[in-house]
Amino acid sequence: MAGVAEATPAASTYDEAALLSHLPLEGKGFWLSVLLLATGASALFYGFLQQVLYGHAVTGQGSHGAIWGIIVANIVNFIGVSHVGIAISAVVRLLRLQKYQQLARLAEFITLAAITTAVMNIGMDVGRPERFILNTLWYGRYHAPFVWSCTVITTYVVGSSVYLYLAMRRDLWLCEAKVPSRRWLYRMMALGYRDTPASRARHNRIVWWLAVVILPIMVSVHSVYGYIFGLQAGRPGWYNPFQAPYFVLGAIVSGFATVIMALAVLRKAFHWEKFFPIAIFKGLGIFLGFVTLLYMYFLFSEYLTGTYASPEAERVVFRDVLFGRFRVITWGAMLGGMLFPFALLFVQGVNRRICSIPLTVTAALFINIGLWTARTLVVVPTFYHPLLHWEVAPYVPSFSEWCIVIGSFFFFALLLLVLVKVFPVLEFPEVHESGQEAHGQRMPFWKMLSIGGSAVAGIALIATGVANRTQPEFFHPPVIWLSGIVMLLSVPFQICVLPERPLRRLVRTRLAAPRLVFSRRARAANYLVSAPQVVKAPVMRLPVLGARKR
Amino acid sequence: MSATPSRRRFLYAVGKTASFFGLASAPLFAAEGNASSRKHKWGMVIDLDRCTGCQGCAVACRAENNVPVAGPTNTEKGRSIFWMNLLTTSEGEYPGLRQQFIPTPCNHCEDPPCIKACPVGATTQSEEGITQQIPERCIGCRLCEVSCPYTRRYFNWSEAEWPDSLREQLNPDVAVRPHGVIEKCLFCHHRIRAAKDRVRAEGRALTDADVRRLPACAQSCPAEAIVFGDLNDPNSEVSREAESPRAFRLLEDVGTRPKVFYLREAKWQE
Repeated sequence: MAGVAEATPAASTYDEAALLSHLPLEGKGFWLSVLLLATGASALFYGFLQQVLYGHAVTGQGSHGAIWGIIVANIVNFIGVSHVGIAISAVVRLLRLQKYQQLARLAEFITLAAITTAVMNIGMDVGRPERFILNTLWYGRYHAPFVWSCTVITTYVVGSSVYLYLAMRRDLWLCEAKVPSRRWLYRMMALGYRDTPASRARHNRIVWWLAVVILPIMVSVHSVYGYIFGLQAGRPGWYNPFQAPYFVLGAIVSGFATVIMALAVLRKAFHWEKFFPIAIFKGLGIFLGFVTLLYMYFLFSEYLTGTYASPEAERVVFRDVLFGRFRVITWGAMLGGMLFPFALLFVQGVNRRICSIPLTVTAALFINIGLWTARTLVVVPTFYHPLLHWEVAPYVPSFSEWCIVIGSFFFFALLLLVLVKVFPVLEFPEVHESGQEAHGQRMPFWKMLSIGGSAVAGIALIATGVANRTQPEFFHPPVIWLSGIVMLLSVPFQICVLPERPLRRLVRTRLAAPRLVFSRRARAANYLVSAPQVVKAPVMRLPVLGARKR
Repeated sequence: MSATPSRRRFLYAVGKTASFFGLASAPLFAAEGNASSRKHKWGMVIDLDRCTGCQGCAVACRAENNVPVAGPTNTEKGRSIFWMNLLTTSEGEYPGLRQQFIPTPCNHCEDPPCIKACPVGATTQSEEGITQQIPERCIGCRLCEVSCPYTRRYFNWSEAEWPDSLREQLNPDVAVRPHGVIEKCLFCHHRIRAAKDRVRAEGRALTDADVRRLPACAQSCPAEAIVFGDLNDPNSEVSREAESPRAFRLLEDVGTRPKVFYLREAKWQE
């Protein structure tokens, strides 16, 4: 029971071997889980293959039936899960929540894995996967919610990758010294990092600002998914200004539930009890319970409006959801997937003696299932009640659709496992600089030029794209404004990564030694002076990958 | 040069320069706008009091536009394609049963929600007011289908198929659509184009008589319930009928302003 006592462990108490113990690719459990997850993930590709070979007729959807089905609900679910990673990380950084510091990077990995899965699901749902990204970029119309979603997702992926990378860069550089068998990888990834006080201060400042910028982007991504549904005037049950906040809240709920589940599994597998004391689960559980309550309140409000005195078309849909053919699913999701887990979390939250991981994880699991079902109940029921009284074929999700949905979860877990195994998840303790060091140095002119040039080019490209949005066939505005966004997001990257040396010296270095600047040998010891507790760690005793084999 | 340039000044400079370049390019390529006078605005009037529900229009449409045969399983799943379909509504029980047939082509709305929703411009409005579809551009996201309040758009759920006997009578004027894209009624625009070519060769302008029965549905209607024509021409039959007190449009409260008008004596309840 070291957990409670070390709720806020001092930096120096961390054993650095434990920080990296999750990296080696060994152990029966690891290979078994890889096998299991890969088998499960293959279902995703099997379902997709069926669709490619036989068309979307292998699904249960139809034009006079459910035009969209559970795959769309799945997309919404994974986009939602992807939110919370960066949200947790940004909030931890902005509010300085030391207790949850070690959770940040795991949450960011969850973001990347989930958004990859979501975009793959979109590709598998559209009729022509081979042209969907290309055409959306090249011919995109500014008035289409799909194009907004393409824009915000790209911004989000690029922005959170830059954020994740800059926050992880120092640890990658440390791993270069501490994990000899993967030195080539971490050396490449660290991109010539130098651990000086000025550099650390610069990274911290830039990452803090990125966190400020990323939070609104995060809200925008899921709002856009709300708009895809909420702006359809011809769809009773969807047309609703409430959709955007409703979706954002749903994303927070399911994202937190997923983070809790992933954390519990990894904590058990890698023996991270020291870094994630039980108290963390209690804290996350209280927050999850709170947002679940808020979600139930949103649901109540929506159902009341839908059934009370709204237009007949709306009322028919909501009656069907609450008391008609969907009633078992609806009430099952609401009672079993929201109220019951909320009760569990409430009891744990108010009772000082109860603090149980299995209980929190059970609640999170039920909430995840409940929320996934709630998404299906947003997507499907409206198709049973088109405004004109067409005969509608009932929707039964087919085997290939279930393959894609369930395979997605395995694929997501597999991606997460790969990320966890390749990159350091836990942050190394860091000496916090006062922030003054970075001001002392003046940026070399060429670096300022590069950064300023990228910023100018970025804003100019965005302005050009937006200003010429009405000429999509000639200008291809989405490509223009997206390159602008990528340019702009490269600014923080450049500030941190470009070396702080005058160009003359940079060139001379390259001429003297005909090797790339970034691939210089690591001379870790030169820079370790500023982090004494790192120097203390005997390098050879740290986990050496593949050492057992040799 | 003695002091480092202040960050704020630097940021201002960056912002100003960039916005200048971006915004300056806009007026050069400003949209031409809708000012160009439209020659035609195609519309349709369907007289429900004349319609007998024979479905001749739907059959003619399939043959004219190479609409694939769905087969029993796909039909059961709601996947068969009808550019022109009959919406059938029943009122009352057996002895007092009343049925109303409403032939429904695409409404070619003036403010179509499908065009707003399409991310890639695969569906656009032609200069003559036809909501057209480019299958080669379509990515199959089905957002237009979802957004259409009338469900008048169809997705190709599988590869198009015909029995051998029907293969022989495919129309060479209309391309067959691949699977995974949306298709819809185009007001037989290939016939409109052919008619324009014909009258140009004859050295005269297109008249109402040339187009009254132009689309396959209008041509095949034995009760002559369907009339096609130019809504911009105040003397055309559709213009006159659209002003009739019997005229109504489907789901007018959605605000899409369809160009297909229906005529019926009593007020139609949807």
